[in-house]
Amino acid sequence: MTFADALALALRNLRQAKLRTGLTSMGVAIGIASLAGMVSLGVGLQEQVVNSFMRSGLFDTITVSAPPIVRFGRDGRARGGPGRGPFGRGLPGGREGGRPAPDGPQRVLDDAALKQLQALPGVKHAAPSVRVQVQVSFDQETEFVAASGVPMFSKDDDAFQALAAGHFFSSDTAPECLITSDMLKRFTARDPKDVIGQPLTMRYAATTAPGNGVPVERVEAPCAIVGVINRDPSPMNAIAGQSGLMLPLGKALEISAAQAMGPPGIAAVLLGQQSQPGVRTYQAVTVTTMKASGVQDVEDKIKTLGFQAFSLNDALAGAKRAFLLLDIFLSLIGSIALAVSSLGIINTMVMSILERTREIGIMKAIGGGDGDIRRIFLIEAGSIGLIGGASGVAIGWLVGRVINAGANYYIVSQGGTAGNFFSLPFWLVGGAIGFSVAVSLLAGSFPASRAARLDPIQALRHD
Amino acid sequence: MPALIETRDLARHYQMGHAVVRALDGVSIAINAGEFVALVGASGSGKSTLLNLLAGLDRPTGGTLSVFGHDVSRMSRDELTNHRRKNVGIIFQSFNLVSTMTASDNVALAMMFAGVPRAQRDVRAHDLLAKMGLEGRQQHRPKEMSGGEQQRVAIARALANTPHVLLADEPTGNLDSKTSREIMSVLKELNERDGKAIVMVTHDAALASRYAHRTITMLDGAVVSETLS
Repeated sequence: MTFADALALALRNLRQAKLRTGLTSMGVAIGIASLAGMVSLGVGLQEQVVNSFMRSGLFDTITVSAPPIVRFGRDGRARGGPGRGPFGRGLPGGREGGRPAPDGPQRVLDDAALKQLQALPGVKHAAPSVRVQVQVSFDQETEFVAASGVPMFSKDDDAFQALAAGHFFSSDTAPECLITSDMLKRFTARDPKDVIGQPLTMRYAATTAPGNGVPVERVEAPCAIVGVINRDPSPMNAIAGQSGLMLPLGKALEISAAQAMGPPGIAAVLLGQQSQPGVRTYQAVTVTTMKASGVQDVEDKIKTLGFQAFSLNDALAGAKRAFLLLDIFLSLIGSIALAVSSLGIINTMVMSILERTREIGIMKAIGGGDGDIRRIFLIEAGSIGLIGGASGVAIGWLVGRVINAGANYYIVSQGGTAGNFFSLPFWLVGGAIGFSVAVSLLAGSFPASRAARLDPIQALRHD
Repeated sequence: MPALIETRDLARHYQMGHAVVRALDGVSIAINAGEFVALVGASGSGKSTLLNLLAGLDRPTGGTLSVFGHDVSRMSRDELTNHRRKNVGIIFQSFNLVSTMTASDNVALAMMFAGVPRAQRDVRAHDLLAKMGLEGRQQHRPKEMSGGEQQRVAIARALANTPHVLLADEPTGNLDSKTSREIMSVLKELNERDGKAIVMVTHDAALASRYAHRTITMLDGAVVSETLS
């Protein structure tokens, strides 16, 4: 008996019991829908989180710093002055960069090093990380703020995509600034739209004579507010080092250079990071990689150059592990319905075989082998699994869409951005249907074997 | 010439609780090619049990049963299936057609198990039914046919894989006398014209003596007499 013949017989049997076939398939469909829906939710949530991690710029960036020569104790405070503290302090899950190459040359983060980092394969951008401590006055309020320098290429970052008002910096050295709406609220009750173009005053202390340290001159620098950032799209941005006030990178470097010979400069001298006069050095450089998966490679290369480097790569791997556990947990919940429906398949098959006992006896009497009978019933069970699996995936997709639409309606009404929480990739569609067929075959194997082993004489006497 | 079917001390015992039922107890018979043999006896004499053993539907508990020199009692399940498929064609008292299939499909089903390609088996099923006098009735279902017509479909099915032996268990038991005569003449023609050996179980001694070459009478699981007609 060929497979095509067995298939034809099996489908004929299914057609004869349409209601039972339909109900059993529906049972399987519900099981598969709950399983596929759960896994789909797990995958969707993971994509959401990983994507927002990616866009946050935390996981495709590496913070590079020059290796210290002198260490004062373990807290590392001596490595930087106030407001220019070592980057990456206390970042959870952060990878503390490698030790300086013992025999390598003492590396300094200057423009040459910046170029070298920029030229590494897999590197998208390399820009100095700069934070300057300034006193900010706007309207009637005055506050000390650590303003961060933002490179022009950051324009594409999520944080700068959805501005409450205004636009990104016009150039790298423009006297402009961006401010978060949270910070703005501390200064004024005015609407974000009304402050665009308004001047904000920054004051800081600058040294008049480089290398001297004293006397200090008070500098007042105006800057125009060009944009208001609605809110941090991700709380991670706070850790990423963006303060409430952002300056174009060039501008921030300018202020940093003016402040450089102050007390922080002394610390730099002690640390041996003092460069030749006229050569600008950086506390840290942020390297952005082409893709998150390339972070580890680039990080290793930077270390061989003699710099310290760290990334949050490991934290992301940890998050992925957590999601794997979530997926397994959700699959287990989803599997309960499938386990119930597989009992339904067994029940249906046992009923069907009981009903057709005499027919099985006839088949055996006229030359049907055990294998033929088993195959017919296995194909029946598999077909139920296929029908149930396909409709289950469809139902799961539909329910996911509906829940997603509902969730997004709520999220958007709360001021959030809509996302896709149910993801149904092709592997999940194929896997769910395949799993459904496999479970059905497994459930059908017991009744099918029972049918195959029937004694023909007994079966022929059956009514 | 060796016998087509030969049994020696063939026994079939059933265990019923603590008692042993000797449905068949030491039967030694031989059936030659082209022979028409009737098995007669009261109910419980073991004639149906013997037929089931010949058909390969059951296994003996003792003795030997050889078909074309092959010992059926030692065959594996698959070999036994093949024996039912190729060597013998079975005709039942209650026809045993698959009620949801057409006459043609019922006949073709036997060839399906034998691995005959679809087109070929459909043509042969159509022709066999026509030969049985059922031209134009091929696509009817058993429910739409009379008992005689159903038995003709069953005979066509038994012939599907060109067996050497037809085994008929009370083939006219459910039919009226006129239809019985028709079915018997079909069997007689198959025996005489096509040379099929036939073993027919019946409780009707008159029918046996009229159509069969030889009548084997059984009682309590043993052969009591053999008479040539």
